[in-house]
Amino acid sequence: MEEKPKAVLIVGGGIAGIQAALDLGDMGIKVHLVERKPSIGGRMAQLDKTFPTNDCSICILAPKLADCFRHPNITLHTLSEVKEVMGQMGDFSVKLRKYARFVDEKKCVNCGDCAAKCPVKVPDEFDMELRKREAIYPYYLQGVPAVMTIDRENCLYLTREVCRICEKFCTREAIDFEQKDTDVMLNVGAIIVATGFDPYDPSGIPQYGYKRYRNVIISLEYERLICASGPTGGHLLRPSDDKPAEKIAFVQCVGSRDFKNNPYCSSVCCMHAIKEAILAYEHDPKVKSYIFYMDLRATGKGFQEYVARGEQEYNISYIRGRVAKITKDHDENPTVWYEETQSSKTKKMTTDLAVLATSLMPRRGVKELAKTLGVELDEYNFFKTDPFNPLDTTRPGIFVCGCCREPTDIPESVAQASGAAERAAETVMR
Amino acid sequence: MEEIKSFRDLIREVVETGICGKCGGCVSFCSAGELDALEMGENELPRYINEDNCLKCGICYLICPQTDTLNVELQEKFGWNPSIGNYQKVISAQTTDKKIKKICTDGGVVTSLLIYLLERNLINGAIVSKKTGRFARKAIIARTREGLIEAAGSTFSGSLHLEELGGKYTTYTPILSTVKSLEKRYLQDIAVVGTPCQINAIRKMQCLGIIPAHLIKYTIGLFCIENFSFNDVARERLEKKLDINLENIVKLNIKDDFIITLTKGVTIHVPLEEIDEVARPACFACQDFSNEYADISVGGLGSPNEYTTVLIRTELGSSVYDEALRKGYIQERTFEDGEESKLEKTKMMAKIVSYSRRKKMRAKERLSELGGGETIGGKA
Repeated sequence: MEEKPKAVLIVGGGIAGIQAALDLGDMGIKVHLVERKPSIGGRMAQLDKTFPTNDCSICILAPKLADCFRHPNITLHTLSEVKEVMGQMGDFSVKLRKYARFVDEKKCVNCGDCAAKCPVKVPDEFDMELRKREAIYPYYLQGVPAVMTIDRENCLYLTREVCRICEKFCTREAIDFEQKDTDVMLNVGAIIVATGFDPYDPSGIPQYGYKRYRNVIISLEYERLICASGPTGGHLLRPSDDKPAEKIAFVQCVGSRDFKNNPYCSSVCCMHAIKEAILAYEHDPKVKSYIFYMDLRATGKGFQEYVARGEQEYNISYIRGRVAKITKDHDENPTVWYEETQSSKTKKMTTDLAVLATSLMPRRGVKELAKTLGVELDEYNFFKTDPFNPLDTTRPGIFVCGCCREPTDIPESVAQASGAAERAAETVMR
Repeated sequence: MEEIKSFRDLIREVVETGICGKCGGCVSFCSAGELDALEMGENELPRYINEDNCLKCGICYLICPQTDTLNVELQEKFGWNPSIGNYQKVISAQTTDKKIKKICTDGGVVTSLLIYLLERNLINGAIVSKKTGRFARKAIIARTREGLIEAAGSTFSGSLHLEELGGKYTTYTPILSTVKSLEKRYLQDIAVVGTPCQINAIRKMQCLGIIPAHLIKYTIGLFCIENFSFNDVARERLEKKLDINLENIVKLNIKDDFIITLTKGVTIHVPLEEIDEVARPACFACQDFSNEYADISVGGLGSPNEYTTVLIRTELGSSVYDEALRKGYIQERTFEDGEESKLEKTKMMAKIVSYSRRKKMRAKERLSELGGGETIGGKA
């Protein structure tokens, strides 16, 4: 074959998009990896550990981030969005909007002198708003590209034309307020969508008290709390009083398998709740965890053994029963009310911390993206596929993998990513 | 590009014109950011430590209560409406704690609300001012019930609240070692009790989302006609005029007039006009009596002795008040019937509105005397 294969566009720089990019790059195919956030890494970068091996999440992800960054065949487009897609399979014209970072990526060495002096404090999205960050910030410590970003919504120069303090403290002269948003046209032969998920907002189930009770948190917040690079330095301190949480309730199926919210099973929550309970015990053997479940779905390799180990070695009790409501007492302790189905009794239990296993939902903005891509979504706004072509969207030449297809754990996302990469390679090499 | 207005301009427009309220907002920002260009100097006025350190960022100018660049935004953010700002309801209330009742200025509501916030872990500390002499106060961060009680009671001399916060709080967190030390809380919340100018500066900082105001979760605002500077000259003059020894004063309060309680239980009422000469001149240029941007505003005006008039403004203020009431930290004044309660509330509001008007009128006069129009900065 004389003509070089066309490039592939990958939308979403989480573990699925990264894996697909690396597979395609290694096959000698050019890849454009597009990420909306300032750095690639996605949800996996926010996790402390992964099940069922309890590997440090960032430790296994970071080498892949670096590989993506250095790969001769991969071009990263962070802070970028797909705005237009024209053409057809084998020959797509894609318009990319690259938002200004206001920091020169080539000059910035991520030293942090700017952020140390930035006077603005806003909730940090990556740390689930459990701490505040500055208006010039690294998206997260191990983020790639490892450069600062100026948040245009909150920077006092970009919003009010005052300040410019960061500029005065940057010894590299990397701050560049002259940067403009630019549009880039790309010609690609295939597209892979890997936009991932957002957690369900449990304020929609008021009886659980999320946002009203400070010691009721969601699982992604828990991941940041127990993570060594998180807001507490890895100490599991509950929000109301910074006391270590020693009795923890994990409430399953919050927004999932719930006809008022998402009727589907979010597939990963049983396992991540067990993992989170194990981590708490590993941090402090005084911890006792209770997992309130409807069914424990442990259908992956090594998962059932993981469930058993949790009970035998890590002080976890599994209680079959759906939690009806959560109340709080004088000391902000969450009290969980439930029917224990094994004895058919309604009971309550007061704990230090309640962790809601929130449903996995498609990312906000997915409808707009689907429209831009010209592909269909299913009834829950996941990308539509059919059982015999599980990685093909409704438009030829556009493939899908990971949590934007359906709630999927990391190993499965990686496997799908390799599959989607292969489907895309087949298209561009044809 | 238009030159950004900086501290030089603040000196010219606010300090030198004599309308600086000494709230310390500018210095608190500058020292919190470790920019080290400003300090509170003689007479408690802000000044340059070293002008070369000034980055001319222009933030101190924006957050000054006497400049108006952010006023419209502030008004929108807090749903301000004319006369006395946004509010939900007004009540007379008092503390249920005997110890506080003994030492407080009015009903002890402020101290009790703060104790409630502290005991429920809703705050880690409160910035209050503590007596350091008969007329001197110092801002402290109280972290215990005892610390709060020590600070109860007012002396009406300025205290540099915000500067204290600026000094205590430092932004320097090496970003690449975000792993925080154990002692440092990841969630820090502070309550502030302050005069209208202090609360105004805090709100302006919060509008910009800047340090150190990001730590401030709750603001309790004091009604404020004026504060006094009790320097030696002023004290001598006042002593002569009122024919008392200021050393014998046990309590000061302002309601309809200036109320001085002396050691032997003697109470003197002095019309406000008569003590104007010891009032800080800047206070005459201030338009805010009822602390229009606080979560809860409080004062003695409109309530009988041993009660505090409480003006609840924001949702946050309302939730704090309701919870403190429910948990028995404070109690409300009781009335014979609904009619009486309604009447008393109308009276209270009328007083607050009338004082607010008076203060606004006075400020307008003062500012037009200064020839700057009604406001300084932006549109003036």
